[in-house]
Amino acid sequence: MKFFSQSFLYDDPWPIVSLAFFLRYPNPYAAHVISCDVISRNQTSSGSLLTTRLILKRGAMPRWFPKGIVSRAESWVIEESEVDPHGMVVRCRTKNLDHVKVMQVEEAVEFRQTPEGKTLQHTEARIVSGFGWGLTKRIENHGLTRFKANLQRSREGVSLILSLLRQSRLQPITLGAPTSVLGTPSAGDFSNDTSQPKNGTWTKLRYWFQPPS
Amino acid sequence: MADSLSPECTPLKSKYDTCFNAWFEGYLEPAVTVSSSERSAYSKEKADEFEAKCGKVWGQYRACVQKAVMEKGLGDLLQQAREENPLREPPVVQSSRRTS
Repeated sequence: MKFFSQSFLYDDPWPIVSLAFFLRYPNPYAAHVISCDVISRNQTSSGSLLTTRLILKRGAMPRWFPKGIVSRAESWVIEESEVDPHGMVVRCRTKNLDHVKVMQVEEAVEFRQTPEGKTLQHTEARIVSGFGWGLTKRIENHGLTRFKANLQRSREGVSLILSLLRQSRLQPITLGAPTSVLGTPSAGDFSNDTSQPKNGTWTKLRYWFQPPS
Repeated sequence: MADSLSPECTPLKSKYDTCFNAWFEGYLEPAVTVSSSERSAYSKEKADEFEAKCGKVWGQYRACVQKAVMEKGLGDLLQQAREENPLREPPVVQSSRRTS
């Protein structure tokens, strides 16, 4: 078993970092993400939002790995997250659902607002192989190396989305027509309460994430 | 936004994501620090707002994905994983404030 933990401080406040985290697929640093679906999502009585996502990722087996054992280098990953907007915490845990005997990677990440108004990301990972054949250690070491590299790329992806959100909030430009999906583009949409001071960054950016086909 | 696991669900997913993200951006920033009783009112209000704006497309998208999950034989895998729902256990990353 390999254990890894790392902290990282974002200069931005928690709400925007959390938004960027949930918007992170797709981005150029996550080309390995084939699909991402919300399986369930509900609000708890205390006001937190619980989400389960099912993600399909493309991987590659190392050259030294025995042939014919893993037929397809894709892996289903389950992601369970909890967003607490009052406590300003996001907790998120992911693990792969298949190839678990070869290697199971469990990741726990937390985003928390600091007293200075920045956002602290803390990541922990456990990497376990039950493969045997004298390869367990080597597989776990390989998994750890890959995990570290992927964590770096993942942060670059979140930072890219963050910079887009930031630019969009600074400049009151509209990248796309701010029409509502539900076909009722009234000025009241999503702004009828006071909880959204910077109205509609997402709406302005949506065509970047989702170009009209 | 990333594709759905089933191409036929992708259009519904795009609609749902667009609606959810607009809602979520507001949800992340409650205007003021509120007491716990006001929290549940806020929560209820946000839940109602979501239902009114995105409830229908969420229902359609969810049904599409659930069907696709069953067709791909992922039902058992998912069920098993959800029974070990990590969020029901105390999280590994504990709530003590950490510094880097």
